[in-house]
Amino acid sequence: MAHALYKAHNVPTPDGIVIDSLDKLDEKLNNIDYPRVVKAQVQIGGRGKAGGIKFANSPDEAKKICKELLHSKLKGMDVNKLLIVQKANPIKECYLSIMLDRDYQKPVLIFSANGGIDIEQAAKDDPDSIIKIPINPLLGIQRYNIKYILKKSNLDLNLEERLFPVVKNLYELFIQRDCMLVEINPLAINGKNEFIALDGKITIDDSALPRQEQILNFREELNEEALVKEARKFKFLYIPIEEYGKVAVMSNGSGMIMSCIDLISKEGIKVGAVLDIGGGATADRVAEGIRIILSNKDIDLLFVNIFGGITRCDEIASGIKKAVESLSSKKTVIVRIEGTNKDKGMEIINTVKGIISVDNVREGVKAVVAKMEVI
Amino acid sequence: MSILIDENSKIIVQGITGREGSFHTKQMLEYRSNIAAGVTPGRGGETVHGVPVYDTVKEAFEDTGADTTVLFVPPLFTYQAILEAIDADIPQIITVAEHVPVHDMMKIKNLLKYSVSRVIGPNSFGIISPGKAKAGFMAHRIFSKGNVGIMSRSATNCYETVFMMTNSNIGQSTCIGIGGDMIPGSTFSELLPFYQKDDQTKVIVLIGEIGGIEEEKAADHIKKHITKPCVSLIAGKNAPKERSMGHAGAIVASDGTGSAENKEDKLREAGVHIAESAMDIVDICKRLL
Repeated sequence: MAHALYKAHNVPTPDGIVIDSLDKLDEKLNNIDYPRVVKAQVQIGGRGKAGGIKFANSPDEAKKICKELLHSKLKGMDVNKLLIVQKANPIKECYLSIMLDRDYQKPVLIFSANGGIDIEQAAKDDPDSIIKIPINPLLGIQRYNIKYILKKSNLDLNLEERLFPVVKNLYELFIQRDCMLVEINPLAINGKNEFIALDGKITIDDSALPRQEQILNFREELNEEALVKEARKFKFLYIPIEEYGKVAVMSNGSGMIMSCIDLISKEGIKVGAVLDIGGGATADRVAEGIRIILSNKDIDLLFVNIFGGITRCDEIASGIKKAVESLSSKKTVIVRIEGTNKDKGMEIINTVKGIISVDNVREGVKAVVAKMEVI
Repeated sequence: MSILIDENSKIIVQGITGREGSFHTKQMLEYRSNIAAGVTPGRGGETVHGVPVYDTVKEAFEDTGADTTVLFVPPLFTYQAILEAIDADIPQIITVAEHVPVHDMMKIKNLLKYSVSRVIGPNSFGIISPGKAKAGFMAHRIFSKGNVGIMSRSATNCYETVFMMTNSNIGQSTCIGIGGDMIPGSTFSELLPFYQKDDQTKVIVLIGEIGGIEEEKAADHIKKHITKPCVSLIAGKNAPKERSMGHAGAIVASDGTGSAENKEDKLREAGVHIAESAMDIVDICKRLL
């Protein structure tokens, strides 16, 4: 994703082609210049070490790498796409990023003359080598910003002419595409004093996706857990918490979900996953939510904790009834409902066999603990 | 006294003709909030539940002298709606929408330095001073008048706490939804001075959660300036790192910034009572009142 967006916003990148099938490899690979770098397009850290970055000096080598790498798995992720780019010959590698800093409440420009490194590690080992400046969003990038970072990293001030458009274009991309982070690492300087983005990473604000159609297409290709995707179809939020956790929590708000995880974990029990059904859920949606979260095979017990403000307890109860009665598996369901139409809801809950109903969160957690000791 | 909202507040509803805007205008009127005007571009001259509708915020402000506006506007239109309210010099802007792009709030937050307005939210249930008035969408039946001031990043954790307080005969002075986003219009530390000055508020409750450093800043402020007893709950102690927990702002960074432990340590150091659950908040308040 980063390569295509950098290109679209005139952030200089090496020329590259995309390979997403093994058809017509000759046609695609025979008539380009070499040496080249083949990069697996997967969202994992340490991609090079995992074998996701290889070098090809000839069309034959490139083809061989394509056949090995395409449709393979790297750290459990499917490789569906390769990017084959010109190999640059940098005389120096730098680091450049812009991130939205929630504490400054501004974009922050980060630069280092020592690129190609793990920036978090470098920040610990040699903090002076990393230059960090907040950018006033009402002003954007100015030439003096560039002079400052060059000066502070002991680089030639004459590089300003070349670096300014790179940073300015990267900033435009950051703003126009609602980015949380745009990172170029390494940012190479070649023999002609040109800057080239050799590798990059971009993360986008989820809330802005509806106005970023181009990004949405990239997002479709992302590898995500099946249940996260399934839940999103119903506009639920499914979050995996701890691996092999046997307890799940379903609730109608993120604050309450976090509190439940805290109280259950405090008892030494692992929460495996949570599902937020949001406000105003209907019976059908509640049933759908229960179905989704219980389809996680690791989960033995579900704690449904609902506080009905906009959400009505009788709707919730009908949904629970529907879901639990159609369940074939013998998973435990503990229910706590409170708020609007609680009495009507409890009448329904009391007719369902096998549900443990509790009066408040504290009792709910106690019931979870008691039940998990038996399981 | 209570703070920010009371029976004298004159309120505008932006987006009053929409489904949510109209429904909650009715709810607010039933709670006897003074809804002075509504705004929906292109619908000027109509009325909604007897409230006159204007095309622009400036007209509504000029005719009514409103001091607060509540935005029932979709997330992608929130930026424009806040700009219009800031430009009309409305002192208090309450925005409830979830999923407002963080870039929009970043620009707003920087613009606010050059304005007379205060923004509450986004992703907030609004503000309620029980028994007096409410501006927002909170389920008002659970609230009761009293002496505890509450600020919360989460609506559900606030409801849960308020519900149990009311059942224990502990009322509230003013409850504010700070909102669950990364860049809130107003933070705990910016709102604490109002509670400190308020006669009605005897205890201040801060319901925080993982992510950011606002609770840490609040701890600093409490240490230096707040003489009233404070209680705090931090949600998300067991949330996995680098994963947003539903609220865009509830995320612990890979280096541990935003962790619950750090927040609790700083708050405890400032003399704040740390609660483990909503019930715990109520138990502590009982002892303090």
